[in-house]
Amino acid sequence: MKKTLLSVFALLMVLSLVLSACGGAEAPVAEEPAAEAPAVVEEAPVEEAPVVEEAAAEEPADPNSLPRNETLYFNGQQWGSVVGWNPYSSNNNNALAIAQQDSARVPMFETPYLYNMLDGQVYPLLADGPYEWNDARTEITFKINPAAHWNDGTPVTAEDVAYTWASHVKYNTPTGSGNVDYIDDIVAADDMTVVIKAKLGEDGAALNPLIVAAYVSTNYVIQKAWTEALEARVGDDATAFMADAAEDVVYSGPYGKYFADDSKVVYIRDDNYWGQDVSMWGKLPAPKYLAHTIFKDNAAGTTALQAGEVDVSQQFNSNVQDFWLKEGLPISTYLPEAPYGIGASLPTAFYNLESPGLDQPAVRKAIAMAVDYPTIIANAMTNQSATFDQVPRSLMNPTPGEQALYDHAAVADLQFAGNDVEGAKALLDEAGIVDTDGDGWREYNGENLSYVATCPNGWSDWQASIEVVAAAGAEIGIDITTNYPEWSVYQTVVTKSDAPLPEGYDIFMMWSDGAGPTQPWSRIRKLMSSEFNGMASNWNGNWGQYENADADVLIKAIPTETDEAKLNEMYTELVSIYLTDVPSFTLMYRPQSFHTVNESVWTNFPYEGDGTNPPVPPLDLTDGWSIAGLYNLTLVNP
Amino acid sequence: MAVFYFEKEAVLKGYQKYFLNKVLWFIVTLVAAFILNFILPRLMPGDPVAAIVSRMAQGMSNSSGVQAIYEQYTELFGTNKPMIEQFFIYMRNVVHGDFGFSIAQYPRTVSDVIRSSIMWTIGLQFPAIIVGWLIGNTLGALAAYLKGGFDKVLMPVSIFLSNLPAFGMAVILLVIFSVTLKWFPTSGGYGFDLIPNMSWKFVWSVIVHYQLPFWSIVLITIGGQAIGMRSMSIYELNADYVKYSRFMGIKDRKIVSYVFRNAMLPQITGLALSIGTMVGGALVAEIIFSYPGLGSTILTAVLGGDYPLISATTLIITVMVLAANFLIEIIYGFLDPRIKSAQAD
Repeated sequence: MKKTLLSVFALLMVLSLVLSACGGAEAPVAEEPAAEAPAVVEEAPVEEAPVVEEAAAEEPADPNSLPRNETLYFNGQQWGSVVGWNPYSSNNNNALAIAQQDSARVPMFETPYLYNMLDGQVYPLLADGPYEWNDARTEITFKINPAAHWNDGTPVTAEDVAYTWASHVKYNTPTGSGNVDYIDDIVAADDMTVVIKAKLGEDGAALNPLIVAAYVSTNYVIQKAWTEALEARVGDDATAFMADAAEDVVYSGPYGKYFADDSKVVYIRDDNYWGQDVSMWGKLPAPKYLAHTIFKDNAAGTTALQAGEVDVSQQFNSNVQDFWLKEGLPISTYLPEAPYGIGASLPTAFYNLESPGLDQPAVRKAIAMAVDYPTIIANAMTNQSATFDQVPRSLMNPTPGEQALYDHAAVADLQFAGNDVEGAKALLDEAGIVDTDGDGWREYNGENLSYVATCPNGWSDWQASIEVVAAAGAEIGIDITTNYPEWSVYQTVVTKSDAPLPEGYDIFMMWSDGAGPTQPWSRIRKLMSSEFNGMASNWNGNWGQYENADADVLIKAIPTETDEAKLNEMYTELVSIYLTDVPSFTLMYRPQSFHTVNESVWTNFPYEGDGTNPPVPPLDLTDGWSIAGLYNLTLVNP
Repeated sequence: MAVFYFEKEAVLKGYQKYFLNKVLWFIVTLVAAFILNFILPRLMPGDPVAAIVSRMAQGMSNSSGVQAIYEQYTELFGTNKPMIEQFFIYMRNVVHGDFGFSIAQYPRTVSDVIRSSIMWTIGLQFPAIIVGWLIGNTLGALAAYLKGGFDKVLMPVSIFLSNLPAFGMAVILLVIFSVTLKWFPTSGGYGFDLIPNMSWKFVWSVIVHYQLPFWSIVLITIGGQAIGMRSMSIYELNADYVKYSRFMGIKDRKIVSYVFRNAMLPQITGLALSIGTMVGGALVAEIIFSYPGLGSTILTAVLGGDYPLISATTLIITVMVLAANFLIEIIYGFLDPRIKSAQAD
């Protein structure tokens, strides 16, 4: 009896193992290739086919695997399955291909110019030579590089640039609606010459030359012929135009679609890429494939980076120095020591300026002065941010270009580096905001100062920062508690600028702009301009609904000012207003992108002092001028 | 003869009544669930369309532009319409098999999102549930029958396994077998350097990547099932019919088969429910091993207020649970003599 039962048991075990193996195998085989294989087939024949043949001639490569020595792996950019390839739709989550931003992402689609956040300059990509303003500063003219062509072999022309703009406007894409107030038109003067006409004010001057000039490095050029094909397909329906998955899109960049599913997205090099012309890079970028595994969370991404399955990591890896100091891994960052990267954006705590007591600058400044920023930087950022002793607080990010834009000595008295509990107390005492009833909390208009500090739930670095802000309150007799709503709720509340902020949002965190061609002006505008107050859905900034007429005048005037001394004066004045009124306060400096690299397979990544000229910024070899880094990579074991 | 005919008719009528009753309840529950699936996600605070706008607004430099985009998208997803109107539109579309666009993954459709991950989820969950169930029940029955040392070892191990939180088991397996021993990969559904295809290399990669997520579910299932089956079997072994059968000199093997069948009934209900809810995904295994599947898709949908995706996935789960329950009840009607006789009365 026992024997029989045992044999049944053994049989069941074997059966279960077989079942388990079958179950696993059948899932992806049944589903994934069916959905994705045709896409690869569709894409390949046009001009990838010769590449495959070429590779086949050299070595019997397996078309179904990505040779490690030819593939550059990323993490931290793509967090869900790719939803499409349409460059007109900027809600497209195709992170490695589409990001029209301050430093536009250019492996697949290209901009006329590339912005370099390290020197603040733009360098030609699709353009030929620098762009020029006319004398009245109402028009920008630039030429298209005659070598530039699309992946279908046809040349890139000025008409493509003009038609791209016309389409953005016609279909009210985010690019169109974001620029149409400042750009009147973009036209092709001839096949190779583009003229961007600024919208003019009543005085005949361009309304905002800064935004007009930024267009050339922040927006892609999209092929006219493909756009027309798309229009024909969707029948001029704006929603369908932007929602189209655009699997057939034509691009001018060095990489195009190879494969995408729920697990990864892979881009393959176009070996006919125009940029190998001597007028541009003179060669092809080193990796044949760019691949991004879709990880479910930071921890999985970090594990893969440690295992050498990721080469370039754009995610926050806490205590990044442990990788090389403790674990001895060939992992490095742009700077060898803290802060490890270049700070570019300023995560900021905003005050609800209508909360009782927070309408008083003394209260706002006292809280900001008492906060222990070194602890925030050590805990929340594991020292991946400069401290406010190293880079004194202003409205500027730590890049040398922005730091040079204001008079440091003129505002030195207003700057604070944190932990100044005595100074904060003195400020409150002086303003008459004291604890009269002896309960330990200060009162204003007879009521205890009591606030809620908040940020989205699960944003752990922000939550750690908010806890430190709350702790500072207790030190100076202000009761600050914390609360963390879900992001879906939080975002709805703080972006509703047409009504006062509700209870529970007295001190709340949001981001600020990073480095870009309109910076620091755009960042300052989004921190201080009252033009966003009253918007039902305000994704720009000034979420505390601050209003200062002097600041508004300066913010409006800066884009048209060309005199550097005058600009310096204006920026200094804005910093002075900001540090006096303290409508919000920066908690740390954060890099534009995290940039950690594993040199097990590839090497020669950008680092400070790497001798590149212009210097390649640490933006993951994909954004703006940092794509130059792709051409410098070499293999550790060729 | 006439009496027999009457009895047969009564039994049939009883069944008819039983089936009709079950079908009616099935429909009522389905309708109620359908309405709740629509309403509940939409009662959550927060505005999912704002999330899309936030993605687009990055880099946009004017204020009215953002507003225009926001309005465009509330119109597209219909979130600016009254909820009752949204419901009728939703109902009409669902009848046509159209679940609409996912808000968070726009412009992907809900069907596309589900289609691309559901096979991974079923491929992981179904075998894991069946294997865990089979092993667990076999071990439980053996423990009850063999007693002694086997039972003394199995019981504490089962209790330990069944009480270990799922993420704990997954992390333990990950640390031991992936990070330390490097026997298995740390993440993904197949090799990070592969493209899906029908080669042996790829299939092998899928099998290797499958093991840790699979066993992290199986081990925990085994514990719970073994405990339940052991208790049921011990109860049955002491039942009068077993003693009577032994007394009658019926063979052990025959008796054990009786015992097994009777102890099985509640376990089958549990199995049906597990299979019904399996589409909900193995969230923990998916996240810890970055394994593709519906679990994390549903989680992100819930956090991001992606109504169409939440409604569609919960609808699938509801239908599967109801269908599994319905089937079990119908089968019970045939199998369990007690139900048969109750219906005949």
